[in-house]
Amino acid sequence: MGMSTSSGGASPNINVTPLIDVLLVLLIIFMVITPSKPSRFEAKVPAEPKDQPQVNVKPNPLTLVVAINKDTKAITLNNEAFGDVSDTDKLRDRLTEIFRDRTNNGVFREGTNEIEKTIFIKSPKVVRYGDVVRVIDAAKQAGAAPIGLQIDDLQD
Amino acid sequence: MAMQVGGTSELNSDINVTPMVDVMLVLLIIFMIVTPLLQQGVSVNLPRDMISPDEDADIAKDTSVIVAIPDNSNFYIGKEQYPLDALGDVIKRRMEGKTPEKRIVYIKSGVEVDYGRVVQAIDTIRKQDIDKIGLVADKKKGGEAPK
Repeated sequence: MGMSTSSGGASPNINVTPLIDVLLVLLIIFMVITPSKPSRFEAKVPAEPKDQPQVNVKPNPLTLVVAINKDTKAITLNNEAFGDVSDTDKLRDRLTEIFRDRTNNGVFREGTNEIEKTIFIKSPKVVRYGDVVRVIDAAKQAGAAPIGLQIDDLQD
Repeated sequence: MAMQVGGTSELNSDINVTPMVDVMLVLLIIFMIVTPLLQQGVSVNLPRDMISPDEDADIAKDTSVIVAIPDNSNFYIGKEQYPLDALGDVIKRRMEGKTPEKRIVYIKSGVEVDYGRVVQAIDTIRKQDIDKIGLVADKKKGGEAPK
């Protein structure tokens, strides 16, 4: 038998298999962990309307209302058209411009020294949630805060 | 027998179990990581690739209240399904003892859900005196930081 004669000797190679295995584990762990960083948009909701006699609230000329049209999906900002939900860049640019002007002119929220950047979003009920979030994303990119969602008296 | 002749040249008859153990450990670790992720609730087709949402580690915490709306007919909190009129009580119970700045309810809604359904959920939430809502969305990788 050949076995009996040759002693073979210790193999000088390092066995790298466990090392590679451990590295693969680490790789997989990081692949799994990375996408699970959750994020969210914060939105404010107006308080529930109380059954009180209608108080005449003075309309705030600085209020920005972004509305979505239910048929055409067009976006309007204070009744001016700015693109639609598939292309929110126009809205973002316009809002950025408005906020820049306000910063330059020192337009403050009433009673505070913060720049008025409040935005309200109004959307009919049949609009896809995804489209509404796209609009919120655009507003947020322009720096709007707080973002308010209109809840009452939405059209279907 | 050849085996009995040369002491140094014996064949090693043991199976090398190291690679197998390694693979088992890999599987163990993978499952340890994946299981809590799966248990967090129902799977929802979240809005993807948003540029500016803020990261909020609280969403993943067990104590936070997350209303999931995977489609037009169901509301879930955690893994439990609730009808719309029961949502309020559950949220109220979960919110007990939280400081005012922690009183935020997260909404995980699918992109195809009608906004009206989301509004119904928000309407229920605000009846519990909560005025902060977190709309959970997926952040685009490498998205620009909010200005």
